Amino acid sequence: MQAALSRLLAFKRIGIIRFARDLGLVDVDAQARRMLDLPAAGVGVESLPDLFPELIGNEASVRNVLAGKRIALHLEYVNRRDRQGELRFLDLLVLAGERKNEGLLAVEDVSEKGRMLQELTQQRHELLLYRNAVHFREHLISEAILGRSPAIEKVRRMIRKISRVPSATVLLSGESGTGKNLAARVIHHSSMPAEAPFVEINCAALPDNLMEAELFGYEKGAFTNALSTRAGLLQEAGNGTVLLDEIGELTVPLQAKLLSVLEEHKVRRLGSNREVEIRARIIAATNRDLEREVSAGRFRQDLFYRLHVVAVRMPALREMDQDVLQIAEHLLKVFAIEFKKKSVRGFTPAARKRLLNHSWPGNVRELRNCIERAMIFTESQRIDADELTLLASRRNPARSLEIPPEGLDLEAVERQLIGAALQRSGRNKSRAAQLLGLSRDTLRYRLKKYGMG
Amino acid sequence: MDGGICVEKKKICLLGAFAVGKTSLIQRFVNDRFGDKYLTTIGVDISQKLLAPFDSGNGRMCQYHLLIWDIAGMDRFDKVVESYYRGAAGALAVADLTRENTASDLTRICRNFRTVCPTVGILFIGNKADLHPLKGPVSAVLEQVAESFGGQCRVTSAKTGAGVAEAFQLLAETLEKGLDASGPVAPAGF
Repeated sequence: MQAALSRLLAFKRIGIIRFARDLGLVDVDAQARRMLDLPAAGVGVESLPDLFPELIGNEASVRNVLAGKRIALHLEYVNRRDRQGELRFLDLLVLAGERKNEGLLAVEDVSEKGRMLQELTQQRHELLLYRNAVHFREHLISEAILGRSPAIEKVRRMIRKISRVPSATVLLSGESGTGKNLAARVIHHSSMPAEAPFVEINCAALPDNLMEAELFGYEKGAFTNALSTRAGLLQEAGNGTVLLDEIGELTVPLQAKLLSVLEEHKVRRLGSNREVEIRARIIAATNRDLEREVSAGRFRQDLFYRLHVVAVRMPALREMDQDVLQIAEHLLKVFAIEFKKKSVRGFTPAARKRLLNHSWPGNVRELRNCIERAMIFTESQRIDADELTLLASRRNPARSLEIPPEGLDLEAVERQLIGAALQRSGRNKSRAAQLLGLSRDTLRYRLKKYGMG
Repeated sequence: MDGGICVEKKKICLLGAFAVGKTSLIQRFVNDRFGDKYLTTIGVDISQKLLAPFDSGNGRMCQYHLLIWDIAGMDRFDKVVESYYRGAAGALAVADLTRENTASDLTRICRNFRTVCPTVGILFIGNKADLHPLKGPVSAVLEQVAESFGGQCRVTSAKTGAGVAEAFQLLAETLEKGLDASGPVAPAGF
């Protein structure tokens, strides 16, 4: 019977380990040795938990099995890697032994069953993850880009469309602090596979020669310090996204090279004759007026047209009307969590008015700093107006007052500005007057004068 | 004792729904590597890591030998799962910052864990920070869950490594402070 039992256990690939009450090892049979990659004699460890750390924490339960207080202890799908590094699954069953104060640990190799279970579970999980990824991408756009103003709605609509075309080059423009970097990340995350890399390069950060080496890569010996061959960031980005921040700072020779990359989707490393394919989406961002840079001869017209195919202008915060309050409320919640000040619940009416009246020259970045500062120092439940430190507003920025060489029609410009202010304010005359720095009466007079009432 | 330093084994459990990055966090912490391909864990997989020695307070240097339990099957709670939790000295409860339900799921999972280890400290982790550019609603839910269990909350990315070592270190410091002293700490034989 004993021999038959041994054959049955071997056939079922079950090994037996005998152990004492103090969990010291007594005997490990040949089948268990094979399964655990143990030598034919000796084990190298003295106790059962050394051999199976999975039993750590369950020593009392093991002793209860030995004392007959519990029938068995079962641990399933214990992971083990064999000498080749392949994953195997073992089932462990602790039972009382035939001798008093001795226990048996039956070790069963269930790798086949485990792998089948893993495959099925994997398929189920991947389906759930796919569904979630679609849901997440849709929500990321509305969650990450806050605001309900027409200006930000337009941005959101454009990003949704761009996310469906992962190959399109995108130009993001807008003043500093308007969220160009965030928009680039949202475009990336909403259009690329989760594992696709996002590579960010600040074109103003490096001198020309280093920028060229960083972007395009180099061969060993291409220049003095090129001690080994290195792929450029455009290539490293693989099938992900490359954000070229401050593209307006790129020198004209590098602009020509970049144009060639955008046209040909190929790049040649410094010192190499071989072309390498580039698959990454390129997003360029700038706070400069590139059209003006083209007129001034500082930016290549052909590159501008190539980048401008899909262009998104991030609106300044002052163009987003009531959105400033929504963004401020969001930032307040974020800092309340970060600074552990959950008692701070919002803004007083005076603070809300102050937030709305400020022109936010530094845009969302300035708003963020302002709320962060207020959250650090506030001791009340609602942030008040005097707790908001605001920078001096820049009214009538000089860059919008240039007169073209052919001259202009001042009344036509005025009509145009009034029209734009009315459009931005949703035809709210008080707000439009505020945007133009006029009193409501003066605006009304001019509307009448130009027949725009 | 090892060269005057006492080495204490501590069992740490990683809790959380499927694909939140439990295995990746362990891989990053133990082997400093990250695999892009998702492979679901079946059963239990134990990794080990020896932490840097620290002064235990009485002039004696101690060192934690962490046995980190990567446990699958959080959608059930039975005798088998119970035996995986038993004897834990600490736990990391992990949520995926891109999946809101993974943060709310932690309430059920941690409640089950606490039925086995009632006083063991839990550190809450919002993982996959590289995929989520903002502190979004998952962070807020995670904060609430953490607060209800008296635990702290951290954000990590197993992919970039951001915050991973710090999270394990923070958990180890919780062990040092003896928050688990009244609970089912390292059992006999440790």
